[in-house]
Amino acid sequence: MEAPQYVAARVQQALAEDTRTHELGIHVDVRGDQMFLRGKVSGAEQRERLGAVAHEAAPGLRMHNEIKIVDYGEPGEDEHLD
Amino acid sequence: MSILTDLRIAAAGDLHLGEDARGSYRERLKGIEERADVLMLAGDLTRHGTLEEGRVVADELRDLPVPAVTVLGNHDYHSDLQHEIAAVLRDAGVIVLDDDGVVIQCGDSKLGVVGGKGFGGGFAGKCASEFGEREIKDFVGHTRQIADAWRVALKEMQVDRRVVLSHYSPVKETLEGEPLEIYPFLGSYLLAEAVDTAGAELILHGHAHKGSEKGLTPGGIRVRNVALPVLGRAYAVYCLNGG
Ligand SMILES: [Fe+2]
Ligand SMILES: [Fe+2]
Repeated sequence: MEAPQYVAARVQQALAEDTRTHELGIHVDVRGDQMFLRGKVSGAEQRERLGAVAHEAAPGLRMHNEIKIVDYGEPGEDEHLD
Repeated sequence: MSILTDLRIAAAGDLHLGEDARGSYRERLKGIEERADVLMLAGDLTRHGTLEEGRVVADELRDLPVPAVTVLGNHDYHSDLQHEIAAVLRDAGVIVLDDDGVVIQCGDSKLGVVGGKGFGGGFAGKCASEFGEREIKDFVGHTRQIADAWRVALKEMQVDRRVVLSHYSPVKETLEGEPLEIYPFLGSYLLAEAVDTAGAELILHGHAHKGSEKGLTPGGIRVRNVALPVLGRAYAVYCLNGG
């Protein structure tokens, strides 16, 4: 059986290199027959694409897509540098 | 010395706009002229570096009410179309820095912005050096050339204030949150050393999505990681106080 670390590395590589995603900042954990995706993206479509690519790269695992969607709506507070 | 007025810099990086993102960032820039004098973007504007995505970004930034300056990031280089992407951005009125500088008149002060993509190599004491295989020498040599170009551009500028815009990080403080093992791919201390030598008030960068917003160079220059996932807001505004 392939060691879980290698499976996770392969999935992470797929998320970075697949033309549908090209997402470098996603954390992949494999525990037993389960796979967990964590990280932040800006839209639901990208989260779905990441889930799909991860599933294709490791189809035998039960996937938990815990990627968070962040909305960068407002500019927020200014910082004064003096 | 002339009296400087406050200068408000809006900054963001790593927009990663895909073709499905048309209109989304423009919406967030509404009213930017009320909040800032200039907009600076720290690269990774696209997802795959395609020309179509470059056009989406250009449309988002076209004819903004404040000057917009950008550098490109590694994602914008992915399809080997960085020059074409830079050209469509310039056509839209965006200033694209490529290891050079620009002078922008902001009110009654002259702002000099120097920068480019930057590159990796790691941080003092824990970095690659120009030794051994050709591939390693090329890697470190690329960063060294970039740092040299920035130092020269900063020194040659006749301006009231200087800001450096990069994609890769000049310091490790703003990488905090990223795995230590990948620090050498996130930035290089050579960039900070060049800016410390030549002088600037602020360095902006992106690239490290899991990093932290605030850091300092060894010489005491403020560094801000403005990658959108780090900021968690549409853009940051940094006010350089007048003297
Ligand atoms: Fe990025
Ligand atoms: Fe990047």
